[in-house]
This record gives sequence, C-alpha cells and structure tokens, in this order.
Amino acid sequence: MISNRPMEHQDSSQSRLDELFLAYRQACPDLEPTPNYMPELWAKIEAREVSTNWFGRVAKALVTAALAASVILGMMVSSANRPNAFFNATFVEALQANQMAGLDPLHVDRMAELGQQ
Amino acid sequence: MLVEFELIQKAQQGDAGAFNQIVSAYRRRILGTISRLIGRPEDVEDVSQEVFIRLYFSLGQLRTAEVFEPWLYRLTVNASYDYLRKGRRRLESRMADLSEQQVMMADAVAGSRAQSDEGEKRRVRDTVQELLSAVSEEDRILLTLKEVEGLSLKELEKVYHVSENALKVRLFRARQRVLKKMKEVTGPSPLSAKEDKTR
Repeated sequence: MISNRPMEHQDSSQSRLDELFLAYRQACPDLEPTPNYMPELWAKIEAREVSTNWFGRVAKALVTAALAASVILGMMVSSANRPNAFFNATFVEALQANQMAGLDPLHVDRMAELGQQ
Repeated sequence: MLVEFELIQKAQQGDAGAFNQIVSAYRRRILGTISRLIGRPEDVEDVSQEVFIRLYFSLGQLRTAEVFEPWLYRLTVNASYDYLRKGRRRLESRMADLSEQQVMMADAVAGSRAQSDEGEKRRVRDTVQELLSAVSEEDRILLTLKEVEGLSLKELEKVYHVSENALKVRLFRARQRVLKKMKEVTGPSPLSAKEDKTR
C-alpha cells in the first residue's frame, strides 16, 4: 500500500496556515477612526495642495529658464560653427579642388604653339 | 458599492461635502484592510489618510463607477506597500525580538481559535507578521488580500491589472514560502509528530 503521509502532512500544514490567517483576521478587526480623523485629513490635503502649487510654480520657472538657456546656447553654437566649405565638401570634391590648385594657369598662346607643332 | 456614482461626480467637481461622504462610507473598511496589511495599529490612520489624499488628487481621472472600488483598493495597496518598504528595517528588528516560545503559543492559540484577550491577539498578529516576513512586500500584500481579506481572484485581477493565472502562480509561490517559514519557526505539526511516535 502506498503511503500518503507526506500529502497528509502537507494538508495539515495548509489547514494550520488557513487557521492562522483566520485568527489573524479576527485579531485585526475593522477599526473605528478617531474624532480628529477628518480635520487631520483636510489639513493634510491643504498642506499637500500648497506644496504642490509651490513645486508647480518652481517647476514652471525652471522649465522656462531651461528653455531660454537652450535657445541662447543654440544660437551661440550655431554662430560659432559657421559652415566651412573645405570641411563640408565630400572627399572627391576636396581632392578635385586640391588638384586644380596644383595645375599651372592655362595659357592660350602656349596652346596655339602646341597645335602648330 | 457603498456610494452612488453621482456623489463621486460631485466630488470630482470639487464638492468637499461629497468627498467627506465618500471618506465616511469607506474609511472603516480601509482602516481594517490597512491594519491587516501592515500589522501596525498605531500607523493605520496615517496610512489610510494617505490613501484618501491620493484619492482626492486623482479623483478627476475616474471615468466609470465600476472601477471605483478596485481603484480604491489599488490606492490602499500602494500606500501600504510604500509604508512597508519604508518601515522594513524597523519591522525586521522587531520580529527578531520574538522568541520561539511566543510563536509556538500563538500557533496553538490560532489552532484552537480561542483568542479572547488582547495578549493572545497580539501574539497571533506577531506570528503572522513573522511568517509574512518570509516573502516580499508585494507578495505579503497579495497574500493578505487573498487569504485574510478574502478577495477573489477576479477582484484581485481588477486591482492588479494582471491575469488570473499570473496571480495564481504568484500566490502559490508566496504561500509555499510562508509554509516553509511556519515549519522553521514552529517545527513539525503535532499531528505528524504523533504519527512518528506511533510508527
């Protein structure tokens, strides 16, 4: 016959835990609020509202200042980094410009001489 | 639902009297739930007031009547969770002071369901608090809502916005950890000890 003791042991632990939770529920009944409950609650709500408004104002001012600073910085950066034709050109364009600068100036009379030869 | 949706709508429009009525209707229930979730009677009012403050500032987001109670439970769970997280160290040191004998006595009291005086009730509370310290704050709250508050899986699904299966798995694991802790602090059950002797 197969023993089912581990299962029984598990069941007894489960039921012990259920009983303990039930006892806990009875040991912590619904509580009655104290007479100052509502005045305290409203005082806390008002305090939170005041701090929320203060933080809101500070946050708004900070956002405005940050926006202004980023616009000014953006303008400064864009004026400092004027586009340079050499750096903006592609590699091929830069190479071509470099080669053109190295060539002698074109002389029409010398071309005519070359044609006669 | 303990209040009409019209009352909630009035409170949403800034009617302080309507908000007072909502608080009055729910505060006893919320106080009881928080007391069982955090296990510290002296801090229950503060945590429940935090729930109603959060309700006051978020009431404008509520659109339908049927989500009000799960939503209030959600606020209760979140406020209790914040409290437990803050007070974790303090709670651990308090639990460490509990003697094993006290735990055994509380277990015996729970078994016989004969907790009549405040001392016994306190011991039961302390025992359950110690057992629940074996799981995380999230699992402790979930387990308490299910096992002590008696919320169904459907209700928990609405509170947590998590599937029923995910909740079942989480509850099972949390319960197993609590059972393991119970065996550690109280030893084998009297039934199994008796069986061992008769073998």
